Amino acid sequence: MPREAEISVNERAFIQEALQEKIRLDGRAFDAFRPLTLTFGDEYGVADVQLGKTRVIARISVEVTAPLPERKFDGIFQIVTEFSPMASPAFEVGRPTDAEVILSRILEKAIRRSNALDTESLCIIAGLKCFALRADVHIIDHDGGLIDASCIAVMAALQHFRRPDVVVEGEKATILSAREREPIPLSILHQPLCVTFSYFEEGEIFLVDADLAEEQVRQAELIITMNQHGELCQIAKYGGATVDPLAIVSCTTVALQKVKELTKFIQSRLEEDAKRRNVGGFMAELSAENAR
Amino acid sequence: MAPEVLLSPLHRADGSATYTQNGYSIIGAVNGPIEVLRKDELPSEATLEVHVRPAVGVGSPKERHLETLLTSTLRSIILTHHLPRTLIQLTLQVRSIPAEDAICGVSAYLTLLPHLINTSLLSLLSSSIPLRTTVTAALVVSPTSSPTMPLVMPTAQEILRAGRIKHAHVFAFDGERKMVVCESEGSFTFEEWEEAWEVAEDVCCRDGGVGLGEAMQVDGQSENLEGWLREVVRRKVEGEQRWKSGT
Repeated sequence: MPREAEISVNERAFIQEALQEKIRLDGRAFDAFRPLTLTFGDEYGVADVQLGKTRVIARISVEVTAPLPERKFDGIFQIVTEFSPMASPAFEVGRPTDAEVILSRILEKAIRRSNALDTESLCIIAGLKCFALRADVHIIDHDGGLIDASCIAVMAALQHFRRPDVVVEGEKATILSAREREPIPLSILHQPLCVTFSYFEEGEIFLVDADLAEEQVRQAELIITMNQHGELCQIAKYGGATVDPLAIVSCTTVALQKVKELTKFIQSRLEEDAKRRNVGGFMAELSAENAR
Repeated sequence: MAPEVLLSPLHRADGSATYTQNGYSIIGAVNGPIEVLRKDELPSEATLEVHVRPAVGVGSPKERHLETLLTSTLRSIILTHHLPRTLIQLTLQVRSIPAEDAICGVSAYLTLLPHLINTSLLSLLSSSIPLRTTVTAALVVSPTSSPTMPLVMPTAQEILRAGRIKHAHVFAFDGERKMVVCESEGSFTFEEWEEAWEVAEDVCCRDGGVGLGEAMQVDGQSENLEGWLREVVRRKVEGEQRWKSGT
């Protein structure tokens, strides 16, 4: 398998010099995301995110299993990321690269361990049956910013997903198909989103949403996960260069602003999709959901 | 009925295609010719690697089986001798499968196979890998209720509605109407198989007697898959020649 082509010395110098003159190669501001598009499929729980040239598809699926013996009252939630040679020939099947390990670890920390999804609501009968939710993240096209794009895709897909309703009578649980009862949305406690800062020139310059060329030139990266209420879910720093603690504080304020914009964007896309599905205006009547 | 196609939607891969038909949606990407691992290197021809990735979960024996079928088929299509000691890497990502697919009574690998074959050919075309010929594939299903009227390229819902399935076949034909793939399941006589073959041939291949230019006009929105394929390639070439024809 060929290695990822390293960026040439000239290109590296060019990007660094341009950054010193406060110019990015694609003309964006330092704290600007690339154009983001989010589309939902015909099924529930499929989100297709395009961030510049990066493209990620997240897909949520559900099945019924026995809960883990040490967590009898919780459902199971799993995020699976596997790179394929589709995104880049350097990704090999069955041999995870560092980027893949970091991506899955960050998503795990950001979404699963920050309790974005209420796993207790996935329990059907304590100790016997629960829903096992699975989020498959497919990297289709790779041009940097995989963590941000994947996080947006998974969160959007989770909010878009509807799980089948169940009726429990004693020890017997019946799963009702979409035709019998309108599927119900997942209970999402908060919406964490990742913002990656790449830094250059010993922490003098911070870039939001670096593309692949900038990622190859950067000295280190700082991944901040927040929700729109300003609650910090995790901070991760990879790469050797040191970073000033005060710079992290200023990064979090930028991240908060970005996360608010992104959350608003996802919300508007979800509403558009709901409107598209709600043709006859029967959605409210069909819903079996109780107010929280 | 003709599948929807978008050629080269991905910027990183050397060639790619998205393909949607009857609720089956697949993204294919080709990288090649690229450097090959020493252990896979063949001195006189290119190595072909096919990865099929399911929409949900990780690959299972079903995907491995599909990969084997696709590899042997595509090896006969690609001019591997023109690219010795290189690797051609084909990745097929299944994006969505209709919900009825799992319960329609035909095994999932058969219903998926023709779409995978068509997608891989489109991706190869998009990557400009030298090919010997084209290949088109179709599914033929014969329900027990009406054995004389086989369903050609049915949707999963149509198969479900047809009731019990007696036998199902996947046929693929190359540009010279030669059969390159035949996968069957169920019980059938040789006559029934031959009938299914003829039906599939009709839908896959262009009518033998009509000239190229005429066939284009007669078909219009292409009744058969080869006509559709030619239309796709024509649009691709038109797009690529825009700079020339525009002036």
